[in-house]
Amino acid sequence: MKKVLAMVLLVLVMVPVLFAAGKAEAKSNYEIVVVPKDASNPWFVRMKVGVDEFAKGTHHTVYQRGTPDIDATLQAQLVQDLIAQGVDALCVVPVDLESIEPVLAQARKAGIVVITHEGADLENVDYDIEAFSNVGYGAFIMDNLAEAMGGEGVYTTMVASLTNGSHNEWADAGVAHQKANYPKMTLLAAEKRVESFDNGDVAYNVAKELFKKYPNLKGIMGTSSYDAPGVARAIEELGLIDKAFTSGTGMPLDNAALLESGIVKSLTLWDPALAGQAMIALAIKVLDGEKISGVVDLGVDGYTALQFKEGSKTVLEGEGWIVINKDNVYDFGF
Amino acid sequence: MNKKRNKLVVDRHMFRLIVMIVAWMIFIAFTRFRKFYNLVNFQTMAAQFPEFGLMSLGVMLTMITGGIDLSVVGNANLTSILMAYLLINMTDVAGAIPPYAIPLVFFLAILIGATLGIFNGLLVSKAHIPPILATLGSGELYTGICMALTKGNAVSKFSRTYATTINNRLFGLIPVQLIIFTIMALLVWFLLSRTVFGTKIYMLGTSATAAKFSGLKTDTLLIKTYLLSGIVAALGGMIMLANYNSARADYGTVYTLQCVLIVVLGGVNPVGGKGKISGVILAIVLLRMLETGLNRFPKISSYYISLIWGGVLILVMVLNFFTENKRVRRKG
Repeated sequence: MKKVLAMVLLVLVMVPVLFAAGKAEAKSNYEIVVVPKDASNPWFVRMKVGVDEFAKGTHHTVYQRGTPDIDATLQAQLVQDLIAQGVDALCVVPVDLESIEPVLAQARKAGIVVITHEGADLENVDYDIEAFSNVGYGAFIMDNLAEAMGGEGVYTTMVASLTNGSHNEWADAGVAHQKANYPKMTLLAAEKRVESFDNGDVAYNVAKELFKKYPNLKGIMGTSSYDAPGVARAIEELGLIDKAFTSGTGMPLDNAALLESGIVKSLTLWDPALAGQAMIALAIKVLDGEKISGVVDLGVDGYTALQFKEGSKTVLEGEGWIVINKDNVYDFGF
Repeated sequence: MNKKRNKLVVDRHMFRLIVMIVAWMIFIAFTRFRKFYNLVNFQTMAAQFPEFGLMSLGVMLTMITGGIDLSVVGNANLTSILMAYLLINMTDVAGAIPPYAIPLVFFLAILIGATLGIFNGLLVSKAHIPPILATLGSGELYTGICMALTKGNAVSKFSRTYATTINNRLFGLIPVQLIIFTIMALLVWFLLSRTVFGTKIYMLGTSATAAKFSGLKTDTLLIKTYLLSGIVAALGGMIMLANYNSARADYGTVYTLQCVLIVVLGGVNPVGGKGKISGVILAIVLLRMLETGLNRFPKISSYYISLIWGGVLILVMVLNFFTENKRVRRKG
């Protein structure tokens, strides 16, 4: 019996070698797989909502597949499995840039279209989609702050640290946008930029001190996801609700109470569901052989006028920012 | 008599594993034939399992002595990080490394792995710390050193020659990783079944007290076993270094439990004294096939992978309990 089983095993292993030859037909139905950092993080559960929605509206086979734990090696192996399976396109949100690079190289060598998200520094990709350009997002935060402030008054900017690249670009862009569009607003000359060190308590203390020191200060533009929520606590404690304002990046559920009570009018973010859809739409375009150049329209909200990042041939930037306010705070699941 | 019984039990185990593999392969053949049965897929699997397969061999050796090695991943990462730094130093401006570089890093990796293994062996034999705690501690220590060295960042930017050499396929067919694994597996098989050392560690695992009183140098035996475990773990690390073209303190953190799972699934008795390398290799193959096969089903969430592994492991242990008990009862 054992020998028989061993033989069967051997035959089963040999079969693929024989069958490996006959393959390759022209396709009209692509198999496109989205690989997030992991399957259980609410951020990527939300991404799956978008992917599933996209799958319903297309004749292509589209699905999201993540690893049970967030782990660079597991993700690399999953991608390898998908390469061996012969999918047409992979849309990856990498856990770790270094370890995924050789695997993505294997994918491209196998003729698979590779689209990534939050992987602007990757080399072995067809394209990388970023939700927005730093300049665009900074201006967007400023629009939200200006709206809350009624377009007038003194404000300042807060970043995680003065050395943080993207935060400072957002803040710079916000200030530039204010100068061009909101002439009645002025940047606090004495302290143009303060640091929160990506910490809600620091943001709270710094904001409290600022409001006490400069009674005419009316608004603080936050960048890190701890800034605006921290500032909001200071506004509440000092009894400045509806007298002082803040806006900036923030996660919905963490800040639901702040938004509902009106201490913060709006927070800004991007929606992973849309980012997932944008990756798939771009993959289909590439598979169809469309030329990707100039301004790219993917037909997904916020990704209708993608532009190449300056000096890059692979990184596309959208306008995928969204406003989170008391009306939609519970729509995202994170 | 006793030896014969052991053999029977182990064979029963092998039989069960083969049945599971065949059943799974038939199931896949009926449901996802073309997506599973192609050469590339088998080459991919053969390149994927050596990194944790090697670590499993280490866990197996220590478990045969009645111990365990939970530091394999820490060992692998520390070795690969140190070798990554060395490779960076050897890479010239054109991105090339001298021809002796690859043999040299493998030689040094073996030395480092052996040293880390000896440290475990000393903790277990001389300091009498229970192996599970000793290696859990040393594993944390090795990972901690990795973190301190790298500050949590990936170490990369060394010549791609290293990765391409190890990721290559011999005659365009057999992955180099598989060859490294096969060599080590044969070596371990030879040590276990054809040398006095092998017989002695089985004896040690069966009864440490009896082994001691029959004049075996148990301390030396343990140190040698953990040394071997250290070497295979380090080689696993070198394969990870190639597969991911980088090294990092937290690569492969899931492998620790996976290795224990494989070894127990492969029929190695967690109390020691029993277990064959063929069982462990079958378990490695089964696990990889299960995971790769499951990835062929878009509808099945990857959460089920953990569920299936846990289920299979408990099933095997329960089956073992009943078959072994039946034998004991019949004997009594």
